[in-house]
Amino acid sequence: MTEAPTIPRFFDSAAQRRNRTRAAPGFDGFDFLKREAVLRMADRLALMRRDFPLCLDFGCHDGMLTREIMEGGKVGRVIQADPAPAFAASAAGTGPAVAVEYDALPFAAGSFDAVFSCLFLHWIDDLPGVMAQIRRLLKPDGLCLVSLLGGATLAELRGSLLEAEQELVGGASPRTAPMADIRDVGGLLGRAGLALPVADSDRLTITYTDMFRLMADLRGMGEQNALLARSRTPARRQLFLRAAEIYHDRFAAPDGRIPASFEIITLTGWAPHESQQTPLRPGSAANRLADMLGTAEQDPEA
Amino acid sequence: MTRDTEDSGRTSLESARLDPALLEVLVCPVTQGPLKYDRVRGELVSHQLGRAFPVRDGVPIMLVEESRALDDDGGDSTS
Repeated sequence: MTEAPTIPRFFDSAAQRRNRTRAAPGFDGFDFLKREAVLRMADRLALMRRDFPLCLDFGCHDGMLTREIMEGGKVGRVIQADPAPAFAASAAGTGPAVAVEYDALPFAAGSFDAVFSCLFLHWIDDLPGVMAQIRRLLKPDGLCLVSLLGGATLAELRGSLLEAEQELVGGASPRTAPMADIRDVGGLLGRAGLALPVADSDRLTITYTDMFRLMADLRGMGEQNALLARSRTPARRQLFLRAAEIYHDRFAAPDGRIPASFEIITLTGWAPHESQQTPLRPGSAANRLADMLGTAEQDPEA
Repeated sequence: MTRDTEDSGRTSLESARLDPALLEVLVCPVTQGPLKYDRVRGELVSHQLGRAFPVRDGVPIMLVEESRALDDDGGDSTS
């Protein structure tokens, strides 16, 4: 067996896979966030003026994205991949499916006309490495269209847990996953060698009766804390009760319901191809800027 | 699991369900090398890695922890 290269580990992939595997059978009761992200991704795809005969859906859950985009008529076949064999098995009802590692995509270079990923990549430790793999899987002029949860996600829950833990224990342990900041992930596209990169972010707010309903939803989605560095001592009931109080005091609306923020970051890029627009080479301008402005050119060295 | 009998000369239901488009693009997750499909065992074999990945109900499980070392039971059944 070859040794995997050393990457800083924030996530426990065995725990993540367990969480996803547990979530798979009842996922349709907790798929509202995925559904929202799927519809937004399908809308973006509908605006693309070309077809994608062979595609990959990485982090396919139960196959929802593939079912939605197949209806749009722009995609031919979609191969679905998920780290949880249970999700891959349920996606197999929609089309070809495969269970894969979080960070080692088992596909030949230049296989796909498009790679999609909907609300999954926020669980990846080595996001630059996985983006580079996605780039490698694309044919020239292939599309990379991915969405992931961003850093503003669950800000209220993080803040409440942190404050409760500081109050009761005098320290804090990470209970929600670190998430990507839009300013950081935007650069990933260019770094992975993808052209015409675009990054943008959407906010969603979902309201709950209390913090425990929100946490039950996160478990149902398979999105609960899987941090490698999480506190090994089970969280005390007292801690969560206090955090729920803080959450309510800080954030509750007049009707008593609490908001939970989700940020969906969408990244779009294309595998380079000569047909794409590119910047002109420096010094290749045919007209002088100074002439167009009607002023004299000034030498900054003078 | 329902299979055709070994002597019928036909492929098993298992292999009939492994999608050809999927088989065409799959490579070994570790070596990126080629995979050989063992229809009889229902496994994808990476000779470079020396391991075989199971195919369950037409779904290849490309996880190293679920794979089998070829040496454990005298290698695979492909030529």
